[in-house]
Formats: sequence, structure tokens, C-alpha cells
Amino acid sequence: MSRVLRIELRRSAALGSALILLAVGTLLLFFVDRSVFTTGWMQLAMTQRLYLAVLWPLALAAGAWQGRREHRTNVTELFASTPRSRAHRAVPTLLAMALAVVAGYLAMGIAGGAWIAGTARYLPASVFAVLAVGVLALVAAVWLGLAAGRLLPSPATAPALGLAGLGVLLLLPGATRPHGWLALVFSPIYEMNLPDAYTTVPGRASVAQAVWLAALAVTAVLLVVSGGWRLRVAALLPVVLGAAVAIAAMPRDNRYVIDAVDPVARELVCAHDDPRVCVSRVHAGLLAEVVPPARAALTVLAPLPSPPTQVHEDTTTYVPARYPPWHDDVVLLRVDAGSDGHLANRDLVLAEVVAGAFAGPADCDHLAGPDEKMAAAYWLIGRAPATPGAVALWQNLRQRPEGEARARVVALRRAALGCTVQDGQLTR
Amino acid sequence: MRTVSAAETAPTTHPWAVDAEGLRVRAGRHLAVDGLDLTLGLGVHGLLGPNGAGKTTLMRALATVVKPAGGRLTLLGEPAGGRADLRRVRRGIGYLPQQFGFYPRFTVREFVEYMAWLKEMPKAAVPGATQRAIDRVGLTAKADARMKTLSGGMLRRAGIAQAIVNDPALLLLDEPTVGLDPEQRLDFRELLRDVGVDSCVLVSTHLVEDVVAACTDVVLINEGRLVHHGTPDDLAAQGGAGDAGDSPAERGYSALLRRHRAAGAATPEAGR
Repeated sequence: MSRVLRIELRRSAALGSALILLAVGTLLLFFVDRSVFTTGWMQLAMTQRLYLAVLWPLALAAGAWQGRREHRTNVTELFASTPRSRAHRAVPTLLAMALAVVAGYLAMGIAGGAWIAGTARYLPASVFAVLAVGVLALVAAVWLGLAAGRLLPSPATAPALGLAGLGVLLLLPGATRPHGWLALVFSPIYEMNLPDAYTTVPGRASVAQAVWLAALAVTAVLLVVSGGWRLRVAALLPVVLGAAVAIAAMPRDNRYVIDAVDPVARELVCAHDDPRVCVSRVHAGLLAEVVPPARAALTVLAPLPSPPTQVHEDTTTYVPARYPPWHDDVVLLRVDAGSDGHLANRDLVLAEVVAGAFAGPADCDHLAGPDEKMAAAYWLIGRAPATPGAVALWQNLRQRPEGEARARVVALRRAALGCTVQDGQLTR
Repeated sequence: MRTVSAAETAPTTHPWAVDAEGLRVRAGRHLAVDGLDLTLGLGVHGLLGPNGAGKTTLMRALATVVKPAGGRLTLLGEPAGGRADLRRVRRGIGYLPQQFGFYPRFTVREFVEYMAWLKEMPKAAVPGATQRAIDRVGLTAKADARMKTLSGGMLRRAGIAQAIVNDPALLLLDEPTVGLDPEQRLDFRELLRDVGVDSCVLVSTHLVEDVVAACTDVVLINEGRLVHHGTPDDLAAQGGAGDAGDSPAERGYSALLRRHRAAGAATPEAGR
């Protein structure tokens, strides 16, 4: 068996399938938009799942191609004279193809992982659930392909099945609207796009998807080993049962994954020494890059009366709306990973922290505008801002005597903290 | 050297490897084997007959690929008709179909090994048996070449290698000499004699001289029935100077067929 498995791994479509999945998956990861997965392991796992939109149909087609082999090579006559059953004969092929797609998918993950290994720290268990569902989706696809190729041994089966798979994945969301949760049960790619930094995939969603995909895989195996219509009809049982259990297990909430927030990913982790600089746990790997410009910004802000003394990551999420607690002495800073996995817009961090000193609590009605914040920030830094609106305000400040300009900047911060900013506060 | 299992050394309890009585086998809707009585023991049996005589259908039935439509068929001492469990019988069968299908990406060694696995050979015996089968058909130098790179003659030999890898008690070769050059055919006859010492070999062919040279006896069938079963010398003795053919055996073949056809035309219900 192990010798035969080794032969199958070498000589079947397994090796080619693994390489195709790896190549296509890696190209998608790196050339579509790298910054969607560079935030961390969860984002990488979810992005891999999203690209199943291409890989899943490919696995279907690869399976169908391999499934046609006995028919294509005309060995049925010879094999019919041997004692080993059709089911036994299929086992090494099933294993080889499953190993191939799993290896291709994991290798794609390793390629993406190598890119972010230096900066990604936070590795919750749910990442493995997301990965496992992706793996299971590919195994089910390649086995389903094997069954199709075996039952309909035509050269058109592989491409037709691939296109059908792509069609199913693309049409499922529209077909199930307004019951988005239903698409989440049956589509491994649904709601996996553009993952937020603090996003997670709830365990129940992964469990429901895994149940469905496992049932699909069992049905595929039964179809592969089936010699007659009786077993083929029986093969429908697991898939129907799996669908029912998965539907029962999936919560009836639309946007179940998109709106999910991982509170642990959102928790702050801080640099050891003062002044305090903190980022969310998911961005912990970027802390060392945030600290120097953030502290430099606090130094710039130090001359203000009761200046801010800490910089925290702004961990606001809009759906559901959750804001970090407001403290007057804490500046909030949006932190994002760039396409290289490192801190995005590193040159702007200093100015953003300084400008953050002119922000107000989230529930304010009268906040300073972005141009005003930037103009005040760049006046404190002593450089010209980059945005034209801010430049005009900044020049207005510069033309005034030093003391007056400072008084206006101080007044803007006081007004921002008190939610009393008026139009033209800085220059009136 | 290889370990020999108890099953292999156990004495055979069946007098005949093939024992058919009134055997009927369909090819599609047509009854291609129609009331055949045949018993075959050790040795090399040449299966002769014109096109459409039912040679391939008989081979397929003996290879357990098609189930008999009627009559009684016992293979290696076990019933092979109806709902019988064929696993034990199949372990003792080697079969080279007329259209030998193979996996082109496999090497010769891999394909023979794969066939050994399908024949449920003991795991430990497979590598040695594979090598021996490849050596016996003279493909040692090509053992690690892909099947798709082999010439027609080499493919036939690879087909024979897979058929004999399990040391079958019943070896069925359907037109194995097609594509072999004269020298290879001589080697092949040598191999047949060698295998036929301790197993039952049935070789279907159109080449009467192959049968005379390599077979211990001749089975001649026509229209699904046994016409003649005897030694090659018997066959040669049947022909006269007036019969078609370039050798005594060929003349015997023509004579037997001519007489069988004449008898069939005279009494069309004969033997039913």
C-alpha cells in the first residue's frame, strides 16, 4: 500500500496538482493585493480561503482529470481480472490526490507565512480552524472531481466541472440573498475578503462549514468506490445529512464573519519603558517600529500645557461600533501593516501622532477637521504639511507672531478635548 | 531466493485448472461461447480458431471479466459462475487482454508492481516477484523506463510480465505474440514452455506454427464450440494433401474447420 501510494504520488496528477495550486495560490497572494494578508496569521488564513475561489475549481478539475485515468488508458479489462476491489484500488489515488492539494495549499500558506513571519505575532487557535476548513474544502473538491471523472469519463468533464465549481462559488451569495448565512454554510470563500485587523472567524462558522465539507467528501468517496446505482443513491445520504447539520449549526446572522471581532486581538500591548506606547495585540510585531516616531511626537507635544503622555493604537471598529476608552493624555493612532508586513506610512507616524493630540472623544459633535489638525501639528513640528488645505492654514499660522500662533494651537487642543471646536477655530 | 508461503506449497486439490461444461458466454447480445465443454490441466494450451470463433470471449470468461450466461465453469477448483466470490480464483490468474491497457506514466517496474498489488500478493514478495517477472520477459534493461516510451514488442513483453508476476496457476494470454519480432517470439516460446511446467497456460493466437512449436496441446474452437482438443501431432494428422496450408499443422487446422462447418451445415441443431 505505501509503495503503491508512493507510485501514485509520483505518477498520478498529484504532483502536478500540488504545484499548480502552489503556483496559482502564491501568485494570487503576492500579486493581487499583498496588504490584505500582511497584518497577521488570521488575515493570511482568510485570504487563502478567499483565493479558494480559484483553487477550489482547479482542485475539482484536477480530480476529474485524474478520475478519468482508468477509462482513458483502457485498463478496465485488465483490472477486472484482479482480486482487489474497486474500493481498495481507489484508496491510493484518493490519498495521493488529497495529500497533493493539502500540500499545495499549505505550501501557499508557508509562502505567505514566510513573508510575514518577521512581523506577525498573534496566532489564535481559530487560525488553524480557518486553515483546516480550507484544506477540507480542497480535499472535498478533489475527491468530488475524482468521482465525476470516474462516473463521466469524458475529456470535457474536467474543464466543465471546474467552470461549474467557479460558477457555484460566484453565484452562491446572490442565490442565497437575503440569507447570507446560508452562503456561509456552503461557500468556503464567503465573507473572507478584505479581513479587518481585529477580525476573526467564529468557531461555530468553521464547525458548520467543516461538517458540510466533510459530508461532501464522504459522498465523493462513496461515489468513487461505487460500482452500482445502489451505492450511488446511498451516497446522497451523507451530503444531505451534512447539509442539514451544517445549516442547523450555523447561526442565522448575516455578516456573521465580517462583523466578528476578536477582543484578544484588539487588546493593547505596550512597550516596556516610558512614555507609554501601545498597539493592539495583532500589531504587536510593529510596536518597535511605532515607538520611536510616537515618542518623538510626544516630545514635540511636550511644550503644550497638560500635554499627552501616551500613544495608543486607535482600535475603533465601526461594525459593531466599539471605541477605545478616551483619556485626555492619550493620543490615538491608527496602525496598519503595509504590503511588506511592516508599519505602513512610517514617515507619517510622527505627524499623525502630533495631529492626534487635536482629536476629541468619539462621541463629540464639534471636532477639529483634518486640515486644522494637520496645520497645528506641522506648526509644532516646524515643517510644511503635504495636503493643500492644511498648507493654507499652516501658512496663516506662520504669518502670525509666534506667541499668538501658539495660543491658537493651544486653544484648538483645549476645544477639541472639550468638544467645542468652532468653524475656523485656528485662524479666526 | 524468496520466502514461499504455505498457500503456495499446499498441494493443488483440483484435477483441472479449467473445467467447463456446456459453458455459454455472451459478447454483448450475441452468444459467442455456446455450449463449450473443455478441461485444461498443466501445460501450454494453444487456443486456435478463426476470427469470431469466440476465442476472446472465452478468454474473458476464464479471466473472470465476464460472467458466464450458462453452463458450469470451475477455475482452479472453485466455481466461477453466478454469484461466486472470485477473489481466491483471481489471485491465481494472470491475464493479458487482447487490448492491453496500461498507465503510460508508470515505469515498467511500477506498473508490474502495481499489478502485483492488485493481485493481492503478499507485500514482502512484491519487489522480488516484480524483478523476476521483468527479467523473465527480457525487459531488465528497460525496467525503469516509462511505459509510454516502450515499442510495441516491449509493451507486449511488459504485458506478459504483469501477467506472470503472481506466478499464476492459470495464465491467459490473448494474442501475446502480436508485435513481437521473430527472435522475441522464439524467446517467448521458451518462456511459455518454462511457465507451462507448473501452471496451466492458455494462449490464444492466429499463428498455427506458434502453437505447434510451444504448446503441449491444441484447442480449436469455432462458433463458440469445441472443435478439437489434442496434441499438435494430432492436429497435423487431421490434414491431408488437399487441405489449405503450408505445414501439416496448418493443413490439419483447415481440415478440422472445414469438416466442422460441413457438419454444422448438415445438422444445424447438432450439439444443442
